[in-house]
Amino acid sequence: MEYKVEAHRIMSISLGKIYNSRVQRGGIKLHKNLLVSLVLRSARQVYLSDYYSGACLNAAQSEREWDITDTEREKFPPSTTECDRVESSEEPQKNERPEKEREYRENDDEVKSDQADCTSTLQQEQNQNSSQDSVAKVSSETLQETINEPKESPSDSALAELDSTPEANGESHQPPKTHVCSNRKRSAEESESGDSPQKKTKVASSNAKEGEEAEEMDTSNVSNLITIFGSSFSGLLSKDGAKPESEAEDSGQICCDQMLKNLNPWSTAIVAF
Amino acid sequence: MCGGLRAGGGGNDVQWCFSQVKGAIDDDVAEADIISTVEFNHSGELLATGDKGGRVVIFQQETENKSQPQCRSEYNVYSTFQSHEPEFDYLKSLEIEEKINKIRWLPQKNAAQFLLSTNDKTIKLWKISERDKRPEGYNLKEEDGRYRDAATITTLRVPVFRPMDLMVEASPRRVFANGHTYHINSISVNSDNETYLSADDLRINLWHLEITDRSFNVVDIKPANMEELTEVITAAEFHPHQCNTFVYSSSKGTIRLCDMRASALCDKHSKLFEEPEDPSNRSFFSEIISSISDVKFSHNGRYMMTRDYLSVKIWDLNMENRPVETYQVHEYLRSKLCSLYENDCIFDKFECCWNGNDSVVMTGSYNNFFRMLDRSQRRDVTLEASRESCKPRQVLKPRRVCAGGKRKKDEISVDSLDFNKKILHTAWHPQENIIAVATTNNLYIFQEKVN
Repeated sequence: MEYKVEAHRIMSISLGKIYNSRVQRGGIKLHKNLLVSLVLRSARQVYLSDYYSGACLNAAQSEREWDITDTEREKFPPSTTECDRVESSEEPQKNERPEKEREYRENDDEVKSDQADCTSTLQQEQNQNSSQDSVAKVSSETLQETINEPKESPSDSALAELDSTPEANGESHQPPKTHVCSNRKRSAEESESGDSPQKKTKVASSNAKEGEEAEEMDTSNVSNLITIFGSSFSGLLSKDGAKPESEAEDSGQICCDQMLKNLNPWSTAIVAF
Repeated sequence: MCGGLRAGGGGNDVQWCFSQVKGAIDDDVAEADIISTVEFNHSGELLATGDKGGRVVIFQQETENKSQPQCRSEYNVYSTFQSHEPEFDYLKSLEIEEKINKIRWLPQKNAAQFLLSTNDKTIKLWKISERDKRPEGYNLKEEDGRYRDAATITTLRVPVFRPMDLMVEASPRRVFANGHTYHINSISVNSDNETYLSADDLRINLWHLEITDRSFNVVDIKPANMEELTEVITAAEFHPHQCNTFVYSSSKGTIRLCDMRASALCDKHSKLFEEPEDPSNRSFFSEIISSISDVKFSHNGRYMMTRDYLSVKIWDLNMENRPVETYQVHEYLRSKLCSLYENDCIFDKFECCWNGNDSVVMTGSYNNFFRMLDRSQRRDVTLEASRESCKPRQVLKPRRVCAGGKRKKDEISVDSLDFNKKILHTAWHPQENIIAVATTNNLYIFQEKVN
């Protein structure tokens, strides 16, 4: 268990460093960010592997959730929806509201790319939640609970938020960048098998104990981090006043979305280079 | 117990004494004053430092008074100039720091001195020349430069040079710009005295000293898809004698030796130096601490030294699979890696240097400690650059760090180390036992004790 706590802490610290690198003088330092991302991945792997062993909580309820997600996955094969999702990453400064939400999706894709396993999981979730309204609503509800999940929570929670937004956003996509798209497809396919169980269990457990999860699973740390990042970053970009200290789920979600923008810089930096 | 053999022979142990300290005394360090590079020139007469504010300060060794052998030669300020200014890249909306990353001297060819200084993006060739005479007696101009009325000139005279106070001028002779997309971490002058290389995170360029508008790209490790990036170039250096050979180190702890005769683009290395990782030391931070922060060839060109976070390794150029010597710099930090990651110290890039005859190597540590590693005698010593040991000719006392357990007298415990006081840059005089050690904003000069 202590490994899990340690890994979680290191992940939070790493995310903080990636965020701070964006505002540092002299531009983003490729070497340091590369090292931080390696640490982030190592910590994530340890964290998830640890979670794995202690994850079999609600077997019965899990099954039901798994069926839903399985169905979704079948309906929306990764390749197609991924490509639709991919957006240009070079425009993080869109401030208009409708575009912002689409951009959160875009940023979501960007976030995925720089966290190896995280990538595919998110994409699968997003794929499943993308086009069809009804299915999206179901999965969004389940996924909304995952906001409070500590694992991969920035990305996941943002995802949940995306899904709860009007579906119209899901339809209006800009043409993807082909090479980025293909890369995501590859990574999604590669880790699909490995990550789907994780996602299932996550959905399951979150659905099982919504409110309790929020408190028990030590989400506050990461959520706090997210809100702090989100608010300060939003101050830079859109002047939206998401309060940093707010624990309310709504603002937490908004901040999580904005956190995605913060997670974006690394991949933005990479792609920009 | 002590480090530093006299270059050229002798097996006597030497002791190090304080000689001078340069820089402000107060503890409040202005960021611009933080020293970012230190380099002796080829004769050792000149010592250059670069700082975060983009300035270069050159110290000159006083000519030794032969009649008084006890009198030590001191380094005094010779020239100060602003090498780089902060810039703004409008396309990327990025500020380019003026911090001087590296200074490298060119071998002296005439009366003037030349050095290359670089920040993240631009390399400049500076000419440092002395002026101690000035022409006087012009016919058409007054001494202050005003033109004389031609009608008032009735006689002609020949202008003559008259002595004046020594003036040292630094002028930028070449500006090598726009060669790098990423941050420049190294420059190295070739032994052919005509070319030099500059390395950034992903590419190495070869320049001719006379030509500023183009350079050859000799190494490019940028992946087609940046998301597949796994390693970056951390340092590069030309071989001291073979003008076709250079090495570059990576963030994965490997060193590649390249031969420019093999092909125009040296993406394929001639030799790959890599030591297998010790699996028992695996941690979250294994990758970070294996990243090489500096690589330096020995003066004789047979060895190279690499510095990673915790150790110094000496490699024989003929053996690729492991280093011939490994020295632990501050092994007691291995258990503190997580804290060092949090406070960013784990990303500190320590440099290392050889003494004149390649028998001793030196590198910095925290708490203003620096380490001297004697290769021939297999001994090492930890010394401290501190204001407390600043009396003239005061001998430096070896320091010891207590890793755990009972702390002996005169030892300092790991938890008491000041991680803000780091010695990243050190330099060793090419011929004598004189070393320059840069703390945050001070430059200490230590010399061998003369009896």
